[in-house]
Amino acid sequence: MISMYLTGNSWLHRTPAGLKLLLVAVASLLLFQVTSPWVFLPCLTVVVGLYATLGREGLAQLKLLRGLTVFFGILLLLHWVSGTLLEGFAVILRLIVLVLAANLVSVTTRMDDMLEAVMPLFKPLEWFGYSARKPALGVALVLRFAPHMMQIFSRLREAYQSRSGSRNSWRLLPPLAIQCLRMSDNVADALRARGGSEGLSDR
Amino acid sequence: MAFWPKKKNHDRNRICDPAAIPYAEFHGVGLSIGSRKVLSGLTLSLKEDRVGVIGLNGSGKSTFVRMLNGLRQPDCGSLKLFGALAEAAAPELPRHVGFVFQNPDHQAIFPTVEEEIAFGLTQLGVARDESRKRALDFLTQHNCEALAPLPIAELSEGQKQLVCILSVLVMEPRLLVLDEPMTSLDALASRRIGDKLRSLPQKIVMVSHDLSHLEGFDRVLWLEDGGIRMDGAPFEVLPAFRADIDRRSGVKLELAAL
Ligand SMILES: Nc1ncnc2c1ncn2[C@@H]1O[C@H](COP(=O)(O)OP(=O)(O)O)[C@@H](O)[C@H]1O
Ligand SMILES: [Mg+2]
Repeated sequence: MISMYLTGNSWLHRTPAGLKLLLVAVASLLLFQVTSPWVFLPCLTVVVGLYATLGREGLAQLKLLRGLTVFFGILLLLHWVSGTLLEGFAVILRLIVLVLAANLVSVTTRMDDMLEAVMPLFKPLEWFGYSARKPALGVALVLRFAPHMMQIFSRLREAYQSRSGSRNSWRLLPPLAIQCLRMSDNVADALRARGGSEGLSDR
Repeated sequence: MAFWPKKKNHDRNRICDPAAIPYAEFHGVGLSIGSRKVLSGLTLSLKEDRVGVIGLNGSGKSTFVRMLNGLRQPDCGSLKLFGALAEAAAPELPRHVGFVFQNPDHQAIFPTVEEEIAFGLTQLGVARDESRKRALDFLTQHNCEALAPLPIAELSEGQKQLVCILSVLVMEPRLLVLDEPMTSLDALASRRIGDKLRSLPQKIVMVSHDLSHLEGFDRVLWLEDGGIRMDGAPFEVLPAFRADIDRRSGVKLELAAL
């Protein structure tokens, strides 16, 4: 399965996962307080600068935005129609900054560090006798396999295009859903074969 | 430290006996998926070190071996694994039975090799830092330390399958079940994995389409339409299977067999 994790030992890889997640969380809280697009431009520069510190492979990650252009286009159009074009730019810039920041964390963080960093959030469950590892693993798995779903979609699109000539169709949705479910079945089996989400330690 | 009654009360007395021989006992076992009868009337017991499973596509091989790890439960008859009834043993089975899937892409849960290996250890209750250290040691022991930091998606098919096997072996199972592990490998990688498997102390049950890998096995099961068509030593079963293939392909194109 494709992983978006970048191999390496950059300063971003060495920063603790918990700290990175916390910074992204705080940044998004702050950014949602701001509405002026002029604030987002320096933020964008900073995030892109952070990618640049990872070198060429880091900058290649920016291609991720290409998949979102349609979505951004629609948002902008809606704002233009309702006469709030400037606000539209602000919304999109904010999204771009946040998506890039979140992605930066996920490509420089090992999944087991992520798991460990998310676990304290679910710690209170343990007071009630539930496992904190289970939901934490859920979060880590979603982050891990989200890019894989994009890959399934682009494969389907190629298969469709090769026989129909057109790239997009609502007809791709049912097979996409089925293939994603099958993928999650496989992951669930793989997990179960090694002891399931709660592990074998207290059995 | 829970001040609330625990939701599930795990039985702390383990019920499986890892040293049990035979390790699997089937009595009239059947299994349906949906309305389809996939396996029926299986009665046999497994005690050999090396057991091969052969048969055409759809004959039920995968379903059969999945029962050994608790991934599937029989719905009639009785199945005992390591001396315990399969249903009761299921939560404990992954400790004793390692399962290697046909497609390495369906097995790897974590993005990098080291994490994938360490996962098995954390499953057994080893703390994260300790599990990383032991994963590295384990990879070194198997001459694979160079793979440790790499993303699994970037490995060759042979390396991926090796990592899958190691990620299961690190849990030190008694029995290793492999479902067509060589299918995506080229000839050289397939030979290497075969040699690796031969060197292991574990008991092995392996599904394979490449019959040459089963020549040195102790026993081969030939499944057909969800039942045992033949069961015996490789020198009896493999030639009979080959002869059957020759006969069928010569007679007519059987759609069902494609
Ligand atoms: N998840 C499933 N859903 C529906 N049918 C299945 C499923 N798994 C297996 N089967 C059916 O069970 C039969 C045996 O499958 P399987 O055990 O995978 O055979 P083999 O591994 O020998 O090719 C096949 O006919 C297959 O269609
Ligand atoms: Mg199969």
